[in-house]
Amino acid sequence: MFGLGDLNLTYLVSITAVSLYVSTAAVALSAAIGLPLSLLVGFRDFTGKSAVTSLISTGMGFPSVVVGLVVLLTLSRSGPLGAFELLFTPEAMILSQTILALPVLVSVSLSAVQSVPQDLRDAAFAAGGTSTDVALLVVREARYGIVTALLAAYGRAISEVGSVLIVGGNIVFSDSTSFTRTLTTAITVEARKGNIETGIALGAILLALVLGVNALGARFRDRTPGRNGRGR
Amino acid sequence: MTAGVPGGGASGASDGSDSASTGARRSRTRLAARGLSHGFGDGAVLDDVSLTVEPGEILAVVGPSGTGKTTLFRLLAMFERPDEGAVEVGGDDVWDLPEARRLAVRRRVGMAFQTRSLFSTTVEENVSYGLRVRRPWSARVRDAVEGLFGREEPSETVEDALRTVGMFDKVDRDAGSLSAGEAQRVAIARALAPDPDVLLLDEPTSNLDPRNTAAIESAMRAARDRGIAVALATHDMQQARRVSDRTAVILGGTCIESGPTDAVFESPDDDRVRQFVEGKLVY
Repeated sequence: MFGLGDLNLTYLVSITAVSLYVSTAAVALSAAIGLPLSLLVGFRDFTGKSAVTSLISTGMGFPSVVVGLVVLLTLSRSGPLGAFELLFTPEAMILSQTILALPVLVSVSLSAVQSVPQDLRDAAFAAGGTSTDVALLVVREARYGIVTALLAAYGRAISEVGSVLIVGGNIVFSDSTSFTRTLTTAITVEARKGNIETGIALGAILLALVLGVNALGARFRDRTPGRNGRGR
Repeated sequence: MTAGVPGGGASGASDGSDSASTGARRSRTRLAARGLSHGFGDGAVLDDVSLTVEPGEILAVVGPSGTGKTTLFRLLAMFERPDEGAVEVGGDDVWDLPEARRLAVRRRVGMAFQTRSLFSTTVEENVSYGLRVRRPWSARVRDAVEGLFGREEPSETVEDALRTVGMFDKVDRDAGSLSAGEAQRVAIARALAPDPDVLLLDEPTSNLDPRNTAAIESAMRAARDRGIAVALATHDMQQARRVSDRTAVILGGTCIESGPTDAVFESPDDDRVRQFVEGKLVY
């Protein structure tokens, strides 16, 4: 028979909280960097633009363990950011998840930004808009795609195992509260221990979180006007 | 060559930040192109085009498709700097002005395009867009926050602009649900709402049905009656004849004739214009 292993409410709440904190922070950081970047790449013509776009697309396929390894080396005591002593902390996990989520967010939002017709940008300009107004208009027009980008980035972040295991260390305190253990890394631990039932329960919570985030995104998409296409 | 200016009257400037006041006459300014030449890559699209559109008149810029009308209108709307020549608003070369002043001048020129260009929101928000971007950021943020808690009635300015194009009954509609003709009328209302001195209409009735075409032509006349300088690019000679006071004919990127519409249509100086007017010149 399957056992419930270490599954208790404190443990459950704390690993869920760490998962949410790390993933939400990573996606927020990715959005802060990625949305302006996608606007910049989407708006401007510059030498090497196609190379940058290809690099961003390639980033979507970054193996997470390789990212984890690079972040480990960067944050280790002898690494360039070793002085900050971030290794095996939630912040190190945020950094690695940001690196993984960023290309997904930029790639999908860039596609959304580039799909806004030039005619609409021209209309905003002709109506007296400044370049900032035109950029805001593009974000507004691309909002469904940008929400999709955020959801995809969130999905990438919250389902991440390899890199967070390497840079976070999967640490749980003796009182069963998590420091760097997430739902995904907890599932690997429970599976390794043979606590399949616990693993399935944690997996269900993870799925419910992803479902909840997607439902919020869908609610946003469906509430705003302009969903009826560009004409009839 | 330079288009003739009947009546000649110059006009004063306005600050361009005010919104429309229903039917009110105010001092307007003229828009002029002086020797505009422009091209893309190695190809010249416009060659030494000069024309003026005066307050309270409709100038039709006619010519076959691909002759440079849209490029000319984009230069007049200050989308880009011409390779040569000047765009003048109220006597100032707009490209000699500092950026902040050029923005103020640009906001005295409204434009509607040939293609569908409504934003993915309501008709009311489309029409009020030009008014919103003219407001200070603090007011815009406050409006956005207030908008989260409820919707205000459309302003008189928006109502007036929509009534001018006969679309006020659709003020709450999602712009994506409008037909092509309705969308074009809303786009013109959006250009009219900030009460511009100059209204540029680039083939606004292409492929529209007679009812929507008539509504748009009526809006052009209403704008003219308010003293707005209206420039209409069209390849529809009958429309040019119906609505315009003066006509400039562009062929091959050059303005080859201009003058009062009746004169251009009935006794053109240039033989190519005669052939074009008679439908015998095919490009």
